[in-house]
Amino acid sequence: MKEELPPRLTSALDELRTTLDRAAELAKQIESQPKPNAPSTAADLQSRLADAESDRLELSARLADYEHQVGRLMNLYVATYQLHATLDPAEVQSTIAEIAINLLGAERFVLLFWKENATQCEIALSQGLEADKSGMYTGGVYAGGDAMVDATLSDGVLRIGPIAGSDAVAAVPLTVQGTTVGALVLLRLFPHKAALKPEDRDLLDLIAAHAASALFAARVYSATDRKLKTLESLVKLVRR
Amino acid sequence: MTPRKVLVVDDSKLLHRMYEVMLRQVVLLHAYDGQGGIDLLRKNPDIDLVLLDLNMPIMNGLEFLTVAKADPQLAKVPVIIVTTEGSDAQTKRGLEAGANAYLTKPFDATRLAHVIGSLESP
Repeated sequence: MKEELPPRLTSALDELRTTLDRAAELAKQIESQPKPNAPSTAADLQSRLADAESDRLELSARLADYEHQVGRLMNLYVATYQLHATLDPAEVQSTIAEIAINLLGAERFVLLFWKENATQCEIALSQGLEADKSGMYTGGVYAGGDAMVDATLSDGVLRIGPIAGSDAVAAVPLTVQGTTVGALVLLRLFPHKAALKPEDRDLLDLIAAHAASALFAARVYSATDRKLKTLESLVKLVRR
Repeated sequence: MTPRKVLVVDDSKLLHRMYEVMLRQVVLLHAYDGQGGIDLLRKNPDIDLVLLDLNMPIMNGLEFLTVAKADPQLAKVPVIIVTTEGSDAQTKRGLEAGANAYLTKPFDATRLAHVIGSLESP
C-alpha cells in the first residue's frame, strides 16, 4: 500500500520540481548564447598575447623614462636647494665643487672669476689641478690660452667639448644680471664616467644661472654683516 | 633588503640632501666623517644599513670599516660604499675591508635602490 504524503510536503516537492525545471531551462539558454570576448581560435589568443606583451614593453619604457626624469629633477632640486641654503661664501663655493664632483662626475675642475681690473681671471677654487700639465692654471690665475674657456669668458655662452684648441670637457659661464663674472671649467671627468650625459646639460645650465648669483649674494651678505658688526662695536664704544 | 634606519657617512652636505630626497621612506642619521659615523652606530643599535663615503676628514671610509668590522656588534650592519673612486683596485679594497656593496658617484635613485635591494637583511 502506497503511503500518502502530507499535503504540505507534496506542495513543496512540486515547487522544487518547478524550480529545477526552470533552472534547467535557464542553463540551456546560457549555453546557447555566444560568450562575449571568448577567444575563438589559437590565432586570436596569440594576437591578444602579442598585444599584452606590446603594452608591457611600452609601460616598461614609460617607467624607465619616468624614473630618468625623476632622477634629473632630483639632481636639479638638490643642487638649487643647496646653492641657496647658505649665506656663507665658502659654503657656496664648496657646494659648487660638490655639484661638479658628485653630480657631474668631474675629477678635475677650476672655478674662475674675473679680477676687478678684468684683465685676468683668478682661481677661486680648484680640484685635481696638480695633475694638469697645460700650464694655464698657475699662480692662482688663469693665464689664458684655452680656446673654449677664453670664448666662454668673453661671450658668456656655455660650451661642451670637444672643441678645437681646448682640452676642457665643458666651460660654464657664471653670470650675474647678464654680466659674465667668471666660469666653471670642467677639465676632466672620472674614469668611470665616459662623457657628459644629455641630462648633465640641465645641471650646467643651472650652475650658469644660479652659482654666481648665490655666491655674490653670500659675499654681499658677508660684507654687510661684517660692516654691521663693526658699526655695532663702535656704537657700544661711544656709549661707554 | 628594505632598511628602516640608515646611517649616511659623507662629508658632502649635498649628498646628505640627495639621500633625504631619494630615501624619503627611511629614517636617516647623518655623520660627516668616519668617527661621527662610528659614534652614531654605537648609539643606535637599530641602524640596519650604512651608506659610506671613502674620502672624508678625521676618519676616512676604510678606517671606519676597520673599526666597525672589529666590533662584533657593529660588524653585522651591512655597508654600501658610495664614492667617486670607481677603479677596480678601490672596489676590491673596499670589499676586502668589509663592505657589502660598492656604488660609484654620480648615481641615481634607481641604481641606489637596486644596490640596496640586492643586499640580504642581517
